[in-house]
Amino acid sequence: MSAQIVLKALAEPRRPAILRLVRGEARSVGEIARHFDISQQAVSQHLQVLREAGLVEVRREGTRRLYRVRPQGLAPLRAFLEELWDDRLDALKREAEREERSSREHDQQ
Amino acid sequence: MSTTSSDTTTAIEREIAIAARPETVWEFFVDPEKACRWMGTSAELDPQPGGIYRVEVIPGNVARGVFVELDPPRRLVYTWGWEAGAASAVPPGSTTIEIDLVPDGDGTTVRFTHRDLPTEDAAGKHAHGWGHYLERLVTAAGGGDPGADPWLSGGMS
Repeated sequence: MSAQIVLKALAEPRRPAILRLVRGEARSVGEIARHFDISQQAVSQHLQVLREAGLVEVRREGTRRLYRVRPQGLAPLRAFLEELWDDRLDALKREAEREERSSREHDQQ
Repeated sequence: MSTTSSDTTTAIEREIAIAARPETVWEFFVDPEKACRWMGTSAELDPQPGGIYRVEVIPGNVARGVFVELDPPRRLVYTWGWEAGAASAVPPGSTTIEIDLVPDGDGTTVRFTHRDLPTEDAAGKHAHGWGHYLERLVTAAGGGDPGADPWLSGGMS
């Protein structure tokens, strides 16, 4: 699962709100829909996106399908932060070394 | 390059060698113009204990915290988080960044630690962990197409 897919899944504000709702306990689509002003069908579509991103998992209980947060779904997000800092620290090194060179040249003049 | 863990939080740790004196490197953390050369499009920095750290990392995505400890040009500690976005739940400044600058000949070894990140395990068990991570990522996603996010392609400048 790439960080991009996870980020895209989280870009629509209702989807993180849905995740907060199902982080503590598993809930059905109907239960989730009651917390929003959108149709049950729209909630189902959001859940599908979250599922494809690995952020929720579903289990059957009788005729009901219950959704809850999938903790391993966070792994790409951690990778995202690691990548962010690796990139930025590389940029820091580049810029600080450029600054050092130009100040030394200045000192020699 | 390593990762440390406790039960509920982890840290990202990095060590890089920079061919510049600690005095030169230090300025890149506390001078707004220099800070933006390696991260961000604008920065508001008040480098004293309790002073604000606020960097617009990419347009609409603002990292904010406060300076905690400053010992120029040796050690810098500040808090870090994302300002409220559409799905805000957790305030900025909830994680901590520690920078140690160690002289090494004519250069500097930079030890970078980003701590207080929730573990996946803790995030699964505790509501706070989820809100914490989601806050960052929701804001990072910024409503745009994350595929074009310069953080992910690595070219912020």
